[in-house]
Amino acid sequence: MIRRLWPLALITFREGTRNRAFYGISLIALVLMGASFFISGLIMRDVGKAAVDMALSTVSFAGLLLVLFVSIDLMAKDLDKRTIYMVLARPISRRQYIVGKFFGISLLIAVTVLLLSVFAAISISIIRWANPDYFSRFFWGPVMLSEVFIALSLILLSALSFLFASVVSTSFLTLVLTIISYLIGQSLTSVKALVEAPQASGITISPVTLKLVQAAYYLFPNLSLFDIKIYAAHGLAIPSSFIVWTLLYGLVYIILSITVAAHLFAKKEFP
Amino acid sequence: MRQVLRSAFLLAVLIVLHVIILQRAATESKRLPAVRESGILIPVPVLIISSLEYKGFVSDLLFIKALIFRGSSYERKDVPRITPDEWQWFNGILIASTTLDPYFIDPYYLANAHMTWEAGMVRETNELLEKGTTYRDWDWLLPFYAGFNSFFFLHDNEKAVELLSKSSERPGPREQLLSLAARLAYTDKKTENAIIFLAAILEKTEDRELRIQYMTRIHALQARLLLEKGVASYKKKHGRYPTVLQDLVKTGIITEIPKDPYGGNFTVDPQGRVESSSDFQLMIRQR
Amino acid sequence: MSIITYSGITKSYNSWPRGNSVLALDGFSLEIEKGEVFGFLGPNGAGKSTALKILLNFVFPSAGTAKLMGREVSDEHARDHVGYLPENPYFYDYLTAKEILWFGGKASGLQKSEIHARTEMLLDRMGLKASCDRPLRTYSKGMVQRAGLALALIHNPDVVVLDEPMSGLDPIGRKLVGDIILELKAQGKTVFFSSHILTDVERFCDRAGILVGGRLRLVGNLPGLLSGAGSLEDVFMRAVGMTEERKI
Repeated sequence: MIRRLWPLALITFREGTRNRAFYGISLIALVLMGASFFISGLIMRDVGKAAVDMALSTVSFAGLLLVLFVSIDLMAKDLDKRTIYMVLARPISRRQYIVGKFFGISLLIAVTVLLLSVFAAISISIIRWANPDYFSRFFWGPVMLSEVFIALSLILLSALSFLFASVVSTSFLTLVLTIISYLIGQSLTSVKALVEAPQASGITISPVTLKLVQAAYYLFPNLSLFDIKIYAAHGLAIPSSFIVWTLLYGLVYIILSITVAAHLFAKKEFP
Repeated sequence: MRQVLRSAFLLAVLIVLHVIILQRAATESKRLPAVRESGILIPVPVLIISSLEYKGFVSDLLFIKALIFRGSSYERKDVPRITPDEWQWFNGILIASTTLDPYFIDPYYLANAHMTWEAGMVRETNELLEKGTTYRDWDWLLPFYAGFNSFFFLHDNEKAVELLSKSSERPGPREQLLSLAARLAYTDKKTENAIIFLAAILEKTEDRELRIQYMTRIHALQARLLLEKGVASYKKKHGRYPTVLQDLVKTGIITEIPKDPYGGNFTVDPQGRVESSSDFQLMIRQR
Repeated sequence: MSIITYSGITKSYNSWPRGNSVLALDGFSLEIEKGEVFGFLGPNGAGKSTALKILLNFVFPSAGTAKLMGREVSDEHARDHVGYLPENPYFYDYLTAKEILWFGGKASGLQKSEIHARTEMLLDRMGLKASCDRPLRTYSKGMVQRAGLALALIHNPDVVVLDEPMSGLDPIGRKLVGDIILELKAQGKTVFFSSHILTDVERFCDRAGILVGGRLRLVGNLPGLLSGAGSLEDVFMRAVGMTEERKI
């Protein structure tokens, strides 16, 4: 099965790397890395933390732009622009199409995060070389783990975008839904904490709101689980049980999204 | 060729105009009514949610905001330089920064450096420092500073001892901390302990303004200590406390009454306590 | 057994949310034999494209069944040895013709050496040798069409389905496509294509069918269709006015 899907995955990957938005995103990443030198310079003591904050935030943000503007483009444009005929005319089923595309896009995301991580490592190393005393609690392990988690959460988000693309008719709608999912996914834990203990903030929450938020918590992806930047920034220990369960959650959610997407996609027509 | 020259000339004129006009507009904008940075404080829950996955980065930005505010306040001419409202805002920003990232050391330091002496917000400072102590469980300095604040500003020796002990449990100058804690348990050595504590703090302080403040305070305390020792000596010799401090000079216990660097006059009360009219115990410094 | 079979295919599109349905195909039945070159005629909007897309499983019939090479069209293996050229081919912008052909070959199960050989041959035949390493977005319409045809033929399919293969081509391009159709015919392949251009149909086809308003009005071999009618154009115009199917 992998062998049959490899050609589709590869052309998806190639097309992604040649997309003009890809270059734009790389440029943004470089600019942000540059900004990190400036910001680290303003921090007096926790220079190490600020360097890691900026580096990881850049990887995350650039990765997000990649998912929103390249990954969705690769998938939803197929539907908009009818480039899908080229693929579906082959002996490929609808399900295989979804899985093949998804592999290609996941590969693109993983490779991009890897590249961004290299830049991040360079930027952190330069700041560290200039301020050796303020990196006493810095370890590469948590930083790399954070980058793996970022890649996983981005792949998850793009799996969700596949699901949307299988249902709605334009790439614009897919984009909007994916952005909304990202915003909800990142803020879900905080919002849930807020509505479950509103007295701490002096606000009142209706029971309907509470139930809605709790339902959303299980429906939308809990992306904030994958955000361990602060722990990486301060070199704090991350329990391995947390790592395992979070990875599992990501995997399960991805498989769920792609399965549903494939099922829905099998019903889609291309007149 | 003519065309190119004409275009180049036009471009040069435009650039020069642009620079001049920009400078003029900037100076004119200074005539707008000054907006004080008592600014808007976004409620912390909103900030948490809207920072999404960039909490660490936003906490950095908030700290920098507070830092820049503090720096720019040195250029102000009015007295007081920073209003109470602005101090509240300052505190709020640092609370927000440390809520987004409670392990971040710089906001705690900034709070401790400026909110105690100048703003008189010692309780708020200690609230922050104690939060930092909880999260930064490898850090001995935060509880140390909190301990000093409790002792010096809040006159709460019990709390100070508790915090110093906590500090000694973390990697650091354990012996020194424990001995200091032990000293604090003896309230009758208040002035001496204050000097020792202050000296330790001074050692860790790099900020020039703060160093001056601490050194002045140490001089004042040393002056008082000298007088206190003199009073004790007098009591031993004559069985009672001196009525005026001049008596100490008269009886040759001290050569002269030391000057209070805060400009006050030292007096002794019937119970033998040495005070200064400058009342340097409470030290909100106005400049 | 016929290599392509349509049995009572009906396709209606419901416009959402109003619900006015458009009947694209109405009780459409057709059988095409192995080795035939079949031309599919009809006015714009008659449903020709839809019929072809049903064969490729891009569109699902509302009623009826269709079979391709002995398999239901819903089976992806029905397309193992089938090549398709859509009406206005779109490709991934930044890939080159060579990469597209690699993809087509690999996805149809060809070996690397086979792909290489056939790619060389096809690029040459289509006159794309010079631009084979440039991104497809830089191609002219004619070049895109030819690249699409190459992609349809990369795996040496037994059945070739072409939707308006001559559209947008200049006379040179039209001649090329025509020659290729004749070559395919000589190789014993089945060619099923739709067209507006009546002269082309006359040139290549063994049989032809005229589709009007989603219904097949006239189908038969060329000589039969033309007998006593004059030109194919007359036949066409008359067929548009017919209400019942007539087999010849």
